[in-house]
Amino acid sequence: MTRIVHYINQFFAGVGAEDAASIPPACAAGPVGPGRRLAALLSPEHEIVATVWCGDDHATTPGAVDEILDLIRAAQPDLVLAGPAFTSGRYGLACARVTVAAGDAGILALAAMHEDNPGVDEAGAIPVVASGPSARHMGPSLERLAAAARKLASREPLTGEDGRINRPARRAVLVDRAGAERAVDLVLARLGGDQAATEIPLLRFQPVSPAAPVDPAAAAVALLTEGGLVPDGNPDRLESARATRWLRYPLPTGGELAAGDYCSIHGGFSTVWANEDPHRILPLDVATDLEREGAVARLHPEYLVTTGNGTSVGNARRFGVEWAAELRRAGIQAVILTST
Amino acid sequence: MRDDPPPGLTRIVHRVDTVALGDETQYDAGVLTVSASEAETVMTDPALGEVRVSWVSAGEPARIVKILDAVEPRAKGLGGGGIFPGILGPAKPQGHGETHVLQGAVVVAAGFLPRAQEAVADLSGPAAALSPLGSAHNLVVEFSPAPGASWEAVEAALRRGLCRLAAWLASAALDAPPDAVEALPGPAWQAGDGLPRVGAVTNIQTQGSYKDTFVYGQSFGLSLPTLMDPNELEDGAVTSGQYGHPALKNPTFLYQNHPVVAALRDRDGRDLRFAGLVVCPEPVEQGRKELISEHAARLCAAAGLDAAVVTKEGGGNADADMALKMDALEALGIPAVGLFAEMAGADGTGPPVVVAPTRATAMASTGNYDQVVSLPAVGRAVGGHRVDLVDRPATAPLELPTAALYCALSPLGWGRLTCQETV
Repeated sequence: MTRIVHYINQFFAGVGAEDAASIPPACAAGPVGPGRRLAALLSPEHEIVATVWCGDDHATTPGAVDEILDLIRAAQPDLVLAGPAFTSGRYGLACARVTVAAGDAGILALAAMHEDNPGVDEAGAIPVVASGPSARHMGPSLERLAAAARKLASREPLTGEDGRINRPARRAVLVDRAGAERAVDLVLARLGGDQAATEIPLLRFQPVSPAAPVDPAAAAVALLTEGGLVPDGNPDRLESARATRWLRYPLPTGGELAAGDYCSIHGGFSTVWANEDPHRILPLDVATDLEREGAVARLHPEYLVTTGNGTSVGNARRFGVEWAAELRRAGIQAVILTST
Repeated sequence: MRDDPPPGLTRIVHRVDTVALGDETQYDAGVLTVSASEAETVMTDPALGEVRVSWVSAGEPARIVKILDAVEPRAKGLGGGGIFPGILGPAKPQGHGETHVLQGAVVVAAGFLPRAQEAVADLSGPAAALSPLGSAHNLVVEFSPAPGASWEAVEAALRRGLCRLAAWLASAALDAPPDAVEALPGPAWQAGDGLPRVGAVTNIQTQGSYKDTFVYGQSFGLSLPTLMDPNELEDGAVTSGQYGHPALKNPTFLYQNHPVVAALRDRDGRDLRFAGLVVCPEPVEQGRKELISEHAARLCAAAGLDAAVVTKEGGGNADADMALKMDALEALGIPAVGLFAEMAGADGTGPPVVVAPTRATAMASTGNYDQVVSLPAVGRAVGGHRVDLVDRPATAPLELPTAALYCALSPLGWGRLTCQETV
């Protein structure tokens, strides 16, 4: 028998709606709310031994996931199921973070939510299966979650056919044959007519639609760069490759980045020319001229910087979201983002 | 009938089973003894200060850090012309005659150079299988710059010195009876027997000082793609001065022992005809990338290739060269298979390829750049006292991304890593 702990939010636990969104995590034996139907679908081979819930707001506070995980571990589960969270953003994020924490603790885990839920991006290597957009779709969503849970419990991989909506993690393994030999195998497969032979499934990046034009003369403009330009000495230790962070620094009021005051720590190109004249990375000189001429309304007094060198797409996407939020708060209408 | 001997190269292999430091440098029945003082004299250069050599061998609880380049000891037999043409002698076309190889020994430079990125190899434990140095006897050269020498001069001195040391070591075996004699015919330049003609297209990194590659001793940065006899590689016609991208490096050792060339040779005459090698620079400007890619594809078409294996050196920027070249080949009707290291994030869920081809679809994987590997503590480390990337002592247990392990993701396909989907 597989021991299952089911994670849900305060609403589905019947504790309350938005007014109860701040309640701390709690636990009860056996299934609760939608877990009763789920338990029926999974029995008798698999049993929901406990249900853990938490208020959606509380679940996003620091340390909350650890509290939730402590309650989950106390029930000694073999498998953690979370959701379905439908399109509820906070609930979806909580389901993702709780299942990721369970996975890190060595417990099998699975979440269910709608493909538009932001929690899908946070689930990392944890499988997420699709649910409908709202609780009106509870029945079929639970059936899909139960079927996926059965498969996962028997350690079978979950694919798109199971309703999986995030990509499975790819892990490095040592095989018998060298890469060069496997490449020649692929050549011979292609020449033999196998058009589909590959070891790496081809992915298409989502195209980014350009934003609508703005009137620069009326726009507050910020300078951004992924060129790793930081104050000399790199006081905050921005990474030279595989950046996980971005930083914010004030721009000098004189409109000039003096050589020696700034340096690029980017690991992907020779930084000699950037250090000789930091404006080659961050064009504050020209931007200041444009501001003086009235070609742009005003310059943002800070610049944002990271290092774009082997940075994961996940982190890059997060930087983009955080930068957009930060700049929107600061009333910025346009940015010049220099790429190296 | 032709009177001259068929083109080709004879590889005379001397296996190195045991190594030692001693008073004299000699090779006898698998035992390679090196005089440290003689070796250090061979490395002498006005741009280098102190030079130290030491052996670090497979199976030892040891680690090499700050690895710059690795070279296999090779020397030409009588009448064979010069090894490392353009570096140790005149830049005359090579790839014929006899070449002596000290197999199992590698000459390695380790230390600081500008723009070099921390490269680590373990000689035992789980990471030993991920680097060609992990199963070899490595004569590691550590150095300090001469006072007042420019880093450019230090780099050039190391590069020349390493080739000189490799040639000098191999010359100790010139008179020894070989363990193996391998005939390497030249490529099948002409069509004929109905087998598909397959070539190797090898992109090499050319991004200026410390990230450059040399063909017949000259920087390859401004060249157009060139069709070569793969046997030219055997004699050191391509040497590395590229110290970035530790796991994605093509060291001189792997040009001398080009894995795709070896794999194509292995199946030559059975499943395919090995039809030659095209080496291409990896320029940094998009326009040059497009020019080089289309030129390479034309060259492959002119050489009558039916298919090609395309490889790269370096990270994301180099993926663009791969994608353009594979697509340019496919556009001319030449199926192209690429070797890619995946950059899928530490948890393996990110998009694996930075710039994917749009026409070509066949890719072999050499592992995941971001996946973390745990290295146990070691008894000694050579090449430096610390691993700067993680700011830890060089002998400490380390958690490193695969990207920092020397040649672990070899774009030339040396390694046995691939990626598979998990539950």
